Amino acid sequence: MKTLTKIAIAAGAVALATTAMAQPKPENFVKQRQSAFALIGWYFGPLGAVAKGEKPFNKDDAVRATSYLVPLSKMPWEGFVAGTENVGNTKAKPEIWSKAADFKKAADNMQTEMAKLAQLASAGDEAGFKKQFGAVGGTCKACHDDFRKQ
Amino acid sequence: MTKPATDLISAPVWDGFVRVFHWSLVALFVISVITGKVGGNAIAWHMWSGYAILALVLFRILWGFVGGEYARYGSFLSSPGRAFRFAKGLMGKTHEYVVGHNPVGGWMVLALLLLLATQAVLGLFSNDEIATTGPLARYISDEASIKLMSRHRLIGDLLLIMVGVHIAAVLFHLFVKKENLVRAMFSGRKELPAELAREAEASRKASMPLGFILLSIAIAAVAIAVNWPALFKS
Repeated sequence: MKTLTKIAIAAGAVALATTAMAQPKPENFVKQRQSAFALIGWYFGPLGAVAKGEKPFNKDDAVRATSYLVPLSKMPWEGFVAGTENVGNTKAKPEIWSKAADFKKAADNMQTEMAKLAQLASAGDEAGFKKQFGAVGGTCKACHDDFRKQ
Repeated sequence: MTKPATDLISAPVWDGFVRVFHWSLVALFVISVITGKVGGNAIAWHMWSGYAILALVLFRILWGFVGGEYARYGSFLSSPGRAFRFAKGLMGKTHEYVVGHNPVGGWMVLALLLLLATQAVLGLFSNDEIATTGPLARYISDEASIKLMSRHRLIGDLLLIMVGVHIAAVLFHLFVKKENLVRAMFSGRKELPAELAREAEASRKASMPLGFILLSIAIAAVAIAVNWPALFKS
């Protein structure tokens, strides 16, 4: 009986510790969302040179980049948990939480437009792709304007 | 002393370069503001517009030394005391005619030129953190580039305010002082009292060849700066 109790306590302690470990710290959330945005920038930025006509459109490159960008576009949002407004070097505005519905809408817009960009890349539609690039950039800007400290 | 319009004589004041500069700048300023606010693919136009503004402003800064009489700093920059007295006079019933830019307007011209030049140069180094970087942003750190981007936004707002003041002042002259400065900036001619009109007629005129040379130099300088990375790839 005594041994069993000890095992139960030990198991409980391990379970508690695991829960505590699974709960990321505020700075981890900030890191999560900033990392996702950094990768979005990495894959999205070079497509801008294509949209501006500085680089030729290459279907394979466009498909590759957008195949990463579509899942990436879904990632940063879970990093915006409450209590991370003033953590580290975040530029998040308090409006992200006070106008959560608007923020969600802005985030959804970006994901929707990004998905369209990926479709156009797969279709090899160069003109459509260039135009849609601007639409995605517009959703980035709209959200930055409202929810990000300049 | 406000004189009846019949006593006024039309005289040439603004040289062609000043006028073309002014109205091109107006068009490009509008384009820059709109494309900057719209973002997306309009940013490509924003950049072209910025390069053009930089070239124009560079030209105008040079033209301030060697242009027509009333394009020159020596003609339109006066002491702060004189500017203050003129501003006080504006509020009264009297109207002091000035051939070129008035003592207050002259300082506004200089402020706008310097701020526009700063704004355009900042743009060259900016990074909007979406998909656009100015052509020279690669020569500074991302951190610095992002900071300059926020200055670029700030000065953009400041310029909008200053342009608002500039337009308000012109409307004040039009409706309160009954002096049409807009038409003068198109035609180059102002309605002036006889003595000032004679002075304007006799004033130093702009040299067309020199104007074109300076404009070419300004355009070339901006073209080189903008294409620097491509020209001097190591």
